[in-house]
Formats: sequence, structure tokens, C-alpha cells
Amino acid sequence: MAGPAVLLYSALMVVPVGVAIYLSFTDWDGFSDAAFIGIQNYTHLFTDPNTTHSMWVTVLIVIFGSAFQIGFGLMYALALRQKSRTNSVFRALTYYPHVISALILGFLWNAILGTKGALNTLLAPFGIGPVGFLFEQNLALISLIAVIVWAGFGFNVVLFVAALQTVPLELIEAAEIDGASRWQINRNIVIPMIAPVVTVALILSLIGLLRAYDIVVSLTGGGPAGSTSTYAYVILAQSFGSTKIGYANAQAVFLMIVSAALALLVTALRNRSDKAAEGEG
Amino acid sequence: MKGKGIWRRVGAVAVVAGAASMVLAGCSSNGSASASADTAKAESAHLRIIVNISPNLTVAYWNKLFAKYEKAHPGVTVKLERTGTISAADKLNQDLAAGDPPDIVQQVTPSADTAKLFTDLSKESWTKKTPLVDNYKINGKTYLVGAGEQVQSLVFYNKEAFTKAGLDASKIKTVAQFTKAMGKLKDAGYVPLQTAGQWVTGSQFTLFNDSTTMTKTPDWIKKRREGDVTFAGDKDYMKSLKAYKSWVDKGYLQKSDLGLAYADGQTNFLEGKSAMYIMGSFFVPAADQAKASDDFGVFSMPTTGTYPTKQFSNIADPYVVVKQSKNQKAAISLVKWLTTDKTAVGSELAADGNFRKGYTYTMSSLGKGVQKIVDASPGGFVEAADEQPLPGYSTELNSQIQSLYSGSTPKQVAENLDTWWDSQTQ
Repeated sequence: MAGPAVLLYSALMVVPVGVAIYLSFTDWDGFSDAAFIGIQNYTHLFTDPNTTHSMWVTVLIVIFGSAFQIGFGLMYALALRQKSRTNSVFRALTYYPHVISALILGFLWNAILGTKGALNTLLAPFGIGPVGFLFEQNLALISLIAVIVWAGFGFNVVLFVAALQTVPLELIEAAEIDGASRWQINRNIVIPMIAPVVTVALILSLIGLLRAYDIVVSLTGGGPAGSTSTYAYVILAQSFGSTKIGYANAQAVFLMIVSAALALLVTALRNRSDKAAEGEG
Repeated sequence: MKGKGIWRRVGAVAVVAGAASMVLAGCSSNGSASASADTAKAESAHLRIIVNISPNLTVAYWNKLFAKYEKAHPGVTVKLERTGTISAADKLNQDLAAGDPPDIVQQVTPSADTAKLFTDLSKESWTKKTPLVDNYKINGKTYLVGAGEQVQSLVFYNKEAFTKAGLDASKIKTVAQFTKAMGKLKDAGYVPLQTAGQWVTGSQFTLFNDSTTMTKTPDWIKKRREGDVTFAGDKDYMKSLKAYKSWVDKGYLQKSDLGLAYADGQTNFLEGKSAMYIMGSFFVPAADQAKASDDFGVFSMPTTGTYPTKQFSNIADPYVVVKQSKNQKAAISLVKWLTTDKTAVGSELAADGNFRKGYTYTMSSLGKGVQKIVDASPGGFVEAADEQPLPGYSTELNSQIQSLYSGSTPKQVAENLDTWWDSQTQ
């Protein structure tokens, strides 16, 4: 009875992706007849200054964003893994941003970090600022990454806490009896046992960060001077907005390929690591 | 061709629903509806309209205006469609791609490429009486009609700041005098010129440059399209960039203002934290609402040549009827009302501080100041039809102008603009 599932998958995934790939080889503007233009859109990806710049911005967001989302997520999960009322409150608090629209989170942080925002208002009586959280190019990018990490790492905390519940307590107690430190226990027992979940979280983080758009719109609008224009932002705000639908599709298809490649790479690395561990065992 | 359209539309709907991971495009069929083929009755129609929402033109304002129309036209309902965080043009693109465009769109200027999307209103005799209608014609045809004229390239100033700095606004006519005045205002303890982030930075430069480069060479954009001029190679454009950069370097423009939203920048000026503000006539209602109109004065943008120069203006509240609309007759009827009815036009003009010959409304002292500038201007200057820059230019310009605050030189900015422009026309 796989028929309905295949039909649904085809309708929601295969057809749209197929149409997108087809349109990426055209000059379609959204309303005229589409003309086939070969790989022109794809070569333009690497000559269009806005797109190439946005690629670098996105690479930075993906590297630092995923590192901090996973790192903080793991740290928090390890700190909150014991069942207690306080830990439950903290888990809820860390997860809370995840249930709010990213667009709203961006506006919220804009009100905090802006030139006339809450933070600069608090700093002003001390003769500090205004700090360029959103108007200095580098600082704006750091602010954006920080907000993205803040908004996303709670999801990883929940994943990791759930995974940590599956780690047998006997193993940890045995290690403690053998004199292993907390760090040694985490490094050699806990983290390897939850590695499959970390892999899933990493893949989800990477794909999510590659698509960073909503927070960019409401927090920085891609500015100042395009310093926070992510790849997805350029697709939606610039290419799509300029009725370059064929080109926007080429950008989107390229993003899809990169996302898939990254996911495969992480999975392959994970498998290799597992095999190496089995070999050692 | 119709089958192809349906295929595309199916794809588009599926893309939107299923591929949230990417912005994969949707599709639409070619519109075949036209005013002549219209079967809808004006007496009964459900119209969808996209309008410009701003601090002056709020959702409540539009709904109130449309309610008047609905009351006078039983059976017709007008639904304002919100655009969220995107522009009216972007919203229209999305709706077209999804095959579900609204009937009327405001704030979208057709070009030769996009004119086919909109209903040709040339045969509607009432359009001839609408302002700037000829300036916006595409190949002799009328697609866009507006309620009034929006005067751009104005410099609003704080009267108290000018008094403290010992300045006389009527004597600021050249860019050099303007720059010198900024120095005096800074010495008097004011931020000389108010700017903001979002679209404001690039827009203010445009208003400044329109009074120098563009009024001197009205077909400048057309020439750039044809490759006859470049940003980096044009003496006037470079002069404007250098002047702006000098204001940044001298601290006449504050880098921290890039972290302000448009409304916040305006509030700074209204609160007297800055002395001058480059903006269009739509600042007037904002000052009126703040009950501060009498605290401010206005003068035409200083130039590098004759003063005053032709006053750069836009068509105000411009409307197009979407060709795919199934309610052609009703949509045209509403657009006619919005652009010719005394009450509707008067309301639109007053709400956004715009002007139109033969239509008056109660103006504040600041509004009258703008009216004087319009009256003294040797003519108008409009960027429309062939004189429209490439799509995406304003965004790119905004980004480049903001980079002047972070160390970019005017030459780098001009070269980057050329690189971008050329990359878009490949």
C-alpha cells in the first residue's frame, strides 16, 4: 500500500524539484514564456557579486552557527540531563525560542540590539556606545549568528537530553568507580553513545543554517552594506523580487545540491567513524 | 500554451507547499483576460488590492477609504492584501508565480518588460486627467495612473537648530553651501543630517543625486543601460558620491544611524536630535501628526548647477490593474474612483503629503513650504518608463552607499555599481 505515499511524495517533492530544475535552465521571469538558456544561470551564480558575497556570508553562518548550536546544545544537555524541576524549567526555557516564529525573534532582537535598542539604552548612562550590534558590518554578522544560535540550540538540547536518557547509568557508574573524571566519562562514553543523534542534529543544523532567511529579514534586512545578506536572502529578496525566477531556481537548486552533499558528507564521516570504532573494539 | 500554463501552475503550488527548504519557483499561466473581454459586472465583485503600507498610509487608513467605496457601490467588496515584510512588487511577483494575483496593485511601476502584465488603460478617457500620466506611458500606452505627485529631493530642517547655528535656509543653494551649513550645525551641537538603515540610506543619496547628476542629464539611466556612461566614469555621479562620503568622514552623517529603522530615524529628527533630513514630501504628514510642523522648514535640494533645479517627483499612489484579473470592469472602476474622485484623491493627497493641480486640502505651514518649492520649480523630473533603473538597483545602491560608512571609497562604490549593473545585463 505504498501507492498513496509515493503519490504524495511525488506531488510534494519530485514534481516541484523537477519543475525547479527545469526552470533553472530557463530565463523565466514569472510571467513570460520561458526560454531555454542552457547553464547560463549556473555560470551567473559565480559571477554575480551579490550571490558570491552571500555564499561567503552563509559559509560563515554555517560554520560558526552549527559549531555553537551543537556545542552549546551538548553542553546544556549534559548540564541538564538529571531529572529535576529546575532542569525541566531550564529545558523549557532553552527550547522556548524554537516555538516562536523566526521572523518575530528577529524583530525582538532588533529592538534589543538596534542603535536605539534596549541594550544600547542601558549602556548609554555609562558612556558606552551606541555599540554597533546592527550597524557595524562585522558586529552585525556576529549578532546575526548569535541570534540564530540562540534561536536554534534549544532544539538540539531537547534532542540531546532525550538521547542522554538512553545512556545506561551502569556504564557511567562503572566508569566513576574506575576513577574516570566527568570529562573522561562524557568524552569516552556519553558522547560516543549519543553520536547518531548528534549526527542528525548536525545535519539539521547545517541545512537550517544554509536556509537562514527569516531572522535576516527582521533583524538586519541583509545590511549594513549587504554584510548579513545570506544566500537564501538573496534568492528571495533579490532574485525573486527582481522577477529573475529562472535564476532564483538555479540558486535554489544549487542550494539543494550543497545541502544534500553536506548531509551525505556528514553521514559518510559518521559511518566511517563507526566502522573505525568497531574495528578498534 | 494553455496546457503548459496549467503544468507550471501545478508545479508552483507544489513548490510552495512542499519545498520549504528552497525557494523554488512557481508558475502562472499567461493572462488572457482583458478589459474588452471582461465579463464581470462592476455591480458585484470581490476586489483584492495591494497597497503601500507606511507610517502615513496605514492599514486602518486604507480600510476606511475602501469602506467609503464599498458604501457607494453596493455589491463590491475591496479586500486589502497585506504584503508582510516584502514590497508590493515582490508580493505581486509571488502572487503571479502562484497564479493568484490580486486585481489592483499600487506602487508597482510597469516597465517595457512587465507592461504585458497589466491592463492597457489608454482607452479610458478619464486617465488623461490624472497627474504625470504621460511620463509613465510605455510605448505610448497607459498602464499606470496615480492620485497625485509626490515631491522628492527636499531638505527638511529644524528651525531652532538653524537659528542656533546662525543659518539662513534660503541661502543654501549649492552643495558646497550645504556642506558648510552641516559644519556649522555640528558645531552647534546637532547631528547635521539624519539618516537611517533599511532603504533610507540609498534613497537619501538618490534624492541628493537626482538634483545633481540626474536633472543635469535626465536620460542618464537610459545612457547607462546603453553603456554610454558608467558610474565610475561619470564626473557628476562621482562628485555626488565624493560629497556624500565627505559628509560621512566629517561626522555629518552618523554611522550608528544605520542601525535605525526608517521610523526611528524620522523620530530622531522630529525630536530635534538632528538638524536636517533629506526626504520626500511624505515627511509632512508625519510632522503634522507629531504636531511639530511649525518647528520645521523645508528647502529644495542644493545642486551643483542652477538652483532650484527641476523638482524630482514621483507619481503618488500609482495604481495598475492586473491583466489576469477576472474583475476588469470593477477593478478599473475602483482605480478611476481612487484617482479622480474628489473625496478619495483629497484624502490620499492629505494622508501622504502629496500634490495635484486643482485639488486642495488643508495644509500645515510645512506643507505650504513644499507647495512653494513646487510652484518655484522650473519643472518636474520623473524617473519612469525607460528612465527606470534595472530591477534590484535600489537595493544594490543602498548596500553600496552603506559601505561608504565602513571605509569604502567613492571610486570603489562606483566600480562596484558598474560591476553589479554589468552582471545583471549579461
